[in-house]
Amino acid sequence: MAAHTTKICLSLGRINGPGFGQYASLNRATYATALSTSNFTGNKGGPDRGGRGAFVRRPRREPGEPRTEKMDSQQDWSAVYPSAASFRPGSVPLPVRMGYPVKGGVPSEKRGNLELIKIPNFLHLTPAAIKKHCEALKPFCTEWPAGLDSDGDLDKHLPIQIETTDYVSAGPSVRNPAARVVTLRVRLSSLNLDEHAREKMLKLLGDRYCKDTDILTITTDSCPLKQQNTDYAMYLLTVLYHEAWKTEAWESEMTRADRREYIWEDSASQQNVLDTLARMGVGEGEAPPREVLLARPEVQQYRDSVTRLKNEGESEGATLRYREAVKKLLSL
Amino acid sequence: MVSPSHNAPGLSKNMAASGRHAGHYINKNSRSLLNHLDKLLGQRGFALSSVLRQQTATLQNDSTEAIVIPRKKTWGKEAVLEALASTVNRDPTAYHYQFQDDPYLSPRTSAESKLYSMSQESGRAAAKYFVDMYPKYFTKDFAEPHIPCLMPASVALSLEEVSEEALKERIGLRKVGAAVEMYDQLVQAGTPISKQMTYDLLDLICFYGDREPAQEGEPEADQTEASAEELRRKRGRFHRASDTLRGVWRENNNAERLFRLLPEREARCYSAVIRGMVKHGAFAKAFDMYTDMLNNRLTADVDIFNALILAVPEMREAYTEKVDFITDLLNQMSQQKVQPNLQTFNNVLKVLRRCGALAKSISLQTLSEMKALGIAPSLASFNHLLAIFYKGGSAADYPTDILQELLSEIETTSFTCQDPEDVWFFSSAMKICLETKDMKLGYKVQSLVGVGDNWRLLGDSYQQGMFYYRFFSLLCLMEHVDVVLKWYHQLMPSLYYPNPQGMRDLLQALDTESRLELLPSIWKDVKTLGHDNKSDLVEELLSLMAREKHSPEVQESFADCALDIKAAFDVDRRKPSLEWSPLALGHVTTLLLRAGRIPQAWEMMQLFKSKNRIPSEALLEDFLSQCSGAPTTAVELVKLSAAFCLPATPQLAQRVLLEFDLTEDQRTTLSELESSWDHNE
Repeated sequence: MAAHTTKICLSLGRINGPGFGQYASLNRATYATALSTSNFTGNKGGPDRGGRGAFVRRPRREPGEPRTEKMDSQQDWSAVYPSAASFRPGSVPLPVRMGYPVKGGVPSEKRGNLELIKIPNFLHLTPAAIKKHCEALKPFCTEWPAGLDSDGDLDKHLPIQIETTDYVSAGPSVRNPAARVVTLRVRLSSLNLDEHAREKMLKLLGDRYCKDTDILTITTDSCPLKQQNTDYAMYLLTVLYHEAWKTEAWESEMTRADRREYIWEDSASQQNVLDTLARMGVGEGEAPPREVLLARPEVQQYRDSVTRLKNEGESEGATLRYREAVKKLLSL
Repeated sequence: MVSPSHNAPGLSKNMAASGRHAGHYINKNSRSLLNHLDKLLGQRGFALSSVLRQQTATLQNDSTEAIVIPRKKTWGKEAVLEALASTVNRDPTAYHYQFQDDPYLSPRTSAESKLYSMSQESGRAAAKYFVDMYPKYFTKDFAEPHIPCLMPASVALSLEEVSEEALKERIGLRKVGAAVEMYDQLVQAGTPISKQMTYDLLDLICFYGDREPAQEGEPEADQTEASAEELRRKRGRFHRASDTLRGVWRENNNAERLFRLLPEREARCYSAVIRGMVKHGAFAKAFDMYTDMLNNRLTADVDIFNALILAVPEMREAYTEKVDFITDLLNQMSQQKVQPNLQTFNNVLKVLRRCGALAKSISLQTLSEMKALGIAPSLASFNHLLAIFYKGGSAADYPTDILQELLSEIETTSFTCQDPEDVWFFSSAMKICLETKDMKLGYKVQSLVGVGDNWRLLGDSYQQGMFYYRFFSLLCLMEHVDVVLKWYHQLMPSLYYPNPQGMRDLLQALDTESRLELLPSIWKDVKTLGHDNKSDLVEELLSLMAREKHSPEVQESFADCALDIKAAFDVDRRKPSLEWSPLALGHVTTLLLRAGRIPQAWEMMQLFKSKNRIPSEALLEDFLSQCSGAPTTAVELVKLSAAFCLPATPQLAQRVLLEFDLTEDQRTTLSELESSWDHNE
């Protein structure tokens, strides 16, 4: 009934309006009259609604009951969150609170809480879900080779480790430039190197070698593709190995300053010690031979302390040890 | 899915997961390294070489334990995703995944769900329209690897000159009128057109019946009117709605004209024309064309026969004649050495549906033929079979248990869609189960839906709704109410929005097992589903609640529910609201009284007055017994009943006088009422 009345008013409005402007105003007028004459259902606005002359608005749609009410406590959670999704307060039946509390209050509840939506959540990776995923992925795996049981075995048979990273994200493109990075790790002890080769190799490697774990790490990212970078890393390893074994002609011109580590033998320090000992008059009678002097325990201790100081840098322990060694040497 | 390590370098935005894949290089390479070393050995000193050899020896010793590294498995691109997806089951409380999972935005009624899904589709269609109309704005390709369906499709004609390429383009874009025009222009200009092109054009015209293909969402108002006129002229009898959609094969249309112009006619042209004629309703002509073809000594192919079989019921009226005609066609088919396919048998069964009682034996023969030829029947064949055997209204006419045998055969088969009529199988099977009241069969059909990909064959929203409605009705009829409620919570709202009839079946089931304390939660569901404006449903609910007295907590919940229902009757709502009936008013008042809510009950009595409905005597008696200690209310009540001129007024007046402590005025009023009533009598 009410709707019918409105329609009549509107049609009248259209007939009566000659020009566009008048038409519009008449239309508005007829809308206003329509509102005032009939008890229009759904018009909860009241007097101001009619005064504005706006369109009749429907009553506000109420939100339904969140589906947490209907959820069974024994339900299958991996069906609710099968994959990564943002937090939905209507679907997560936990009374979670998040946010900085107002003074004397508590953190805000989960309904309409942007903080909970912004952060990544792992609701799709509960332990039960992970178990199910592992079971489903088992057919894709092959079994572990029989002889490789411990880390030692792995190092022995498969000394080279190659590490790559794959990236997954939601977007139109699956490519990610960070996926081309390849890291190759190998223990130097598994490579066959003699003294000279090892020294040369260590000089070549510089930063890439870690003395504590004896692992050489080569990271390549200069090529655009992962496969190219792995090939390049293997190539680098091969080249390093072969170069270490080669002896160039100019290597014979190596001086003490070029050496990687400090060696006490034939150094100024050794000469100083010998001179000092000779001057102190150690050894009765004529000067004992160098080897005997050098073999004395104090001299050995001094040698160790000086080597440690020079190679490892100054530290409190090293300096103290040097002091002890000097005191013993000079029999103080 | 891949567990992230704690020193993952960078998680990209949008919930990315990075996986670290540490691989050990294969044994082969390290062995080649060792082999290389052997060659170098010769250059070194003897002492060193002995050491190295020993090393190699020990390594080789160990490697002779044969570390067998198994060969890597390969799999398709989606295999991992499919494996992970198989771990996920259906969530019974969630709505369909295409909707937003939010209490405000999810569709709560079936109308809303249809509206939302259609609006999503229309949004997609609008986006596709814009991308296709203005391709110059959508040239940049973000997707890697390339996704062809997101790129602008060419819908506009690009070639304007009169040439064969232009004709090909028009055929490719399915522009029927433009293609015919181009063809005419080419013929006038005298350019030679290849045979294949002409046949393609003929195919196009016959497929669309010489009309433009219907655009999405554009109603073909004038066309359907015109064709409806023609139909009414042609055939006096009842024409189905499908005819108006199909359109009509006009006399001497472009297809026939083109056909006549063709210098040599191959089987392919005949096929196109015959199938077009059958599709668009020119059945007699189709048969004429067929005889023409036979006269030209060409063999028909399987599609022609399929179309002709479909045309049989339009050509003959009597059942026997139809059957004879079909057998004749099939014999001709075998004579011409044409192998039938699934569509042939499905069409035969479809036509047999209109052949009366003869159909039963013949359909079984058809099935055995299919088996002999090794063609697996599709769900459409089974659907036709069910329609043939389970014809007629009542369950008593079904002497056969063919559905049972059928289901036991196809219990674990997963079907794919091979025929458009496949989607009718499940709803008709469930209809039969409902009519024969066979619960076991119902469960079997329901479990068949869960096998493999069969859920895709449930059909559109209407058919799905029918299927689940019938299943649910069957459950309500046959099963214990706990099972019914379990299924109710499983099916609603993820798969099925119950219609009012379904809710009434549920109420019936609850009533049978007298589990009426669940009625308030059912009312909540009714409100969510938007059925709270169906007066019969609401009244049935109210009468069930008000019928007997229950325990106090239950009465309280019933009273709250009654108040809620009262709100549903209120006028200021957008939806068309309900009209109060006397029964409904009475029930609500009774419920309120039973819970002891006198003021609200009094409001109800006022409502009686304002709506001009008459309360029953029992109600008034009830009210009086409840409102002891409120004599004014009692007096008002008697006045009310007097206003309605109820015959019970004097008894009420007497009761009040006896039971209540009244003031003098009240007494006088009451005695006046009593006496005036007697006088009126």
